Amino acid sequence: MSEALQTYFTKVGKYPLLTREQEIDLAKKIEAGDSRAKNKMIQSNLRLAISIAKKYQRKGCSLEDLIQESNMGLIKAVDRFDWRKGFKFSTYAYWWIKQSVRTHVASQASDIKLPAHTRNLLWKMNEMVKEYDDQFGQKPSYDEVSEALGIPTSTLMSMIKCSSQTSLDANIRDRSGGAGRKIAEVVPDNNAASVEDLLDSVKIKGVMRSALRTLTSREENIIRLRFGIGDSSEQSKGQFILSQNEVKEIRRIAK
Amino acid sequence: MSMPKGYISENGYATVIKSGGMSYKDIAEEMTRRGFKMKHSAARNILLEAMKKLAVGVCELYDMDNTDIMRVASDPRFQECVASYLEEESII
Repeated sequence: MSEALQTYFTKVGKYPLLTREQEIDLAKKIEAGDSRAKNKMIQSNLRLAISIAKKYQRKGCSLEDLIQESNMGLIKAVDRFDWRKGFKFSTYAYWWIKQSVRTHVASQASDIKLPAHTRNLLWKMNEMVKEYDDQFGQKPSYDEVSEALGIPTSTLMSMIKCSSQTSLDANIRDRSGGAGRKIAEVVPDNNAASVEDLLDSVKIKGVMRSALRTLTSREENIIRLRFGIGDSSEQSKGQFILSQNEVKEIRRIAK
Repeated sequence: MSMPKGYISENGYATVIKSGGMSYKDIAEEMTRRGFKMKHSAARNILLEAMKKLAVGVCELYDMDNTDIMRVASDPRFQECVASYLEEESII
């Protein structure tokens, strides 16, 4: 735990918890627009926000961020708390804080943003897999899961792909448990040329180079024109480099 | 040189217009303008001769028969490879 977080916890621990009567009293003042009362209500419930944030620690977000989001939910709850309903503030605030933290976790835990209903389906899928595993001692097939969830297998596969992405910079653990190479280092490049192709390419280039030396200037020019090699503008077409023989031939025709 | 009636090219034709190249007719006109009087058929024959020269080495490399030289030289895939190679290397 970071030093800043430790200091924050110590500071938060000093704010006393509120009794029900104090809560109602503060809520009335907040309604009247008393900002000091609002601050007191928030400060006195920061411990609740921390305790909820801690529950989501292992969801891929830092505790500092979770506490921040949790506090945002707490502020929202303070703004909307209606003391007339007769509930304790913590009961009301719990849902706002939880909602705020869960939204943050859902948006930050994955690099791929998934719609709420997809996240819901993924949660259902995980629950279903757990139940199946407990009951039958093995994991269900994709077809069984898709049938249970009422979605096509292709959709299920897409959802699983989206939810289980891994960073290319992540280390691969070797058998001894130590961090070895990175995933990016072992992912094969299917588009890369094979060694045989590269060797062939070198050989062919050598053959082509020597064969190109045997081309006459006329052949060379026709290839250039045919495939648009070099500048194809009208100006550059008038700037062909001609061989001495061609210059002689042009001179002969001109005479 | 016209193709025999009913001829279907096995691998299509090398795409030259898209890459800024000229048709044989245009090449013949351009070369004629420069003093090398020729028809479009001559332009095509000269190009094929050049391709044959380039194909010889490739056929030797892959132990192909001499009879394959013309087939390789006139293959649009080979011609496109030659063109892209020349463009990359800027040899000519």
